[in-house]
Amino acid sequence: MTHPNELLSAYLDGELHGTELSGLLEHLSGCGKCSAELNDIQQVRAAVRSLPVLELAEGIVPEADPVVVPLRRNRGVWVGAAAAAIALVVTVAALATTPPAPVSVDDLSSRFGARVSLDPAFSPAKVVVPELELAGE
Amino acid sequence: MVESVPLTWEEVARVYGRKIYNFAYRLTGNPDDAHDLVQEVLLRVRKGLANYQPGSFEGWLWRITRNAFLDDIRKKKRRPTAPLPDEVDRWELASTESADAAYARISLGDDIQKALLDVPFEFREAVVLCDIVGLSYEEISLAVAVPIGTVRSRIHRGRKILREMLS
Repeated sequence: MTHPNELLSAYLDGELHGTELSGLLEHLSGCGKCSAELNDIQQVRAAVRSLPVLELAEGIVPEADPVVVPLRRNRGVWVGAAAAAIALVVTVAALATTPPAPVSVDDLSSRFGARVSLDPAFSPAKVVVPELELAGE
Repeated sequence: MVESVPLTWEEVARVYGRKIYNFAYRLTGNPDDAHDLVQEVLLRVRKGLANYQPGSFEGWLWRITRNAFLDDIRKKKRRPTAPLPDEVDRWELASTESADAAYARISLGDDIQKALLDVPFEFREAVVLCDIVGLSYEEISLAVAVPIGTVRSRIHRGRKILREMLS
């Protein structure tokens, strides 16, 4: 009697199909030896699969691709350069198209005041006082 | 078979890093070696991902992992606890002379892990890829570059050896 032992693991793993599967099932129904071996292999298979999944130590898999870092830096440089170029073009265009207007104290105050008002950490007093001291020297 | 391919190297690292580590640890019983292997494999994946041809990503990844593992063993000129593949044919179940040396390198008192380390490499590898990593026989066939019939035979023989050791 030929015992299809090597098919037992494939059967347990769901890797047996068609005539091989039906042939093995038929054999198992009448062979105590192969049925016992199937039981043994099943226990071993379950034991290996019961081994705990080990976690990878932190830092082994990098959080960020080191190749990406310089690319981001480069991208930042280019974005900054592009922004500076655009700002320069706009400034030059503005100077070329609009005549210089006299700047009044009120204009400076409104511009300065508006800028300060965007930052709640600053109060008008904190900003005004140093300027007065500098003016007095 | 899973055919989806992670889009980036970072995704490969996140999704497969732990699996690669468990694969390496169960084959070596050594956490440091396993960590080294994860880093080496991810480096190779990073280099090879640009040229990856659509197909079985699992087969591709685990072939890289296996090659890195074998290269590492050869580079360190250190033998695994069981004979290398070219010596498997001479191995016999009753031969346990290397058991003491093998146990000395085991950090965990895990009977199953200990037994695994004494299973010859080819059979141990097939069992680990099947039962620890969870690959199909076809994926193991692609990773190890052997016919599916050989995968079937190695997995069963590996389990039988384990049964003998654990009984």
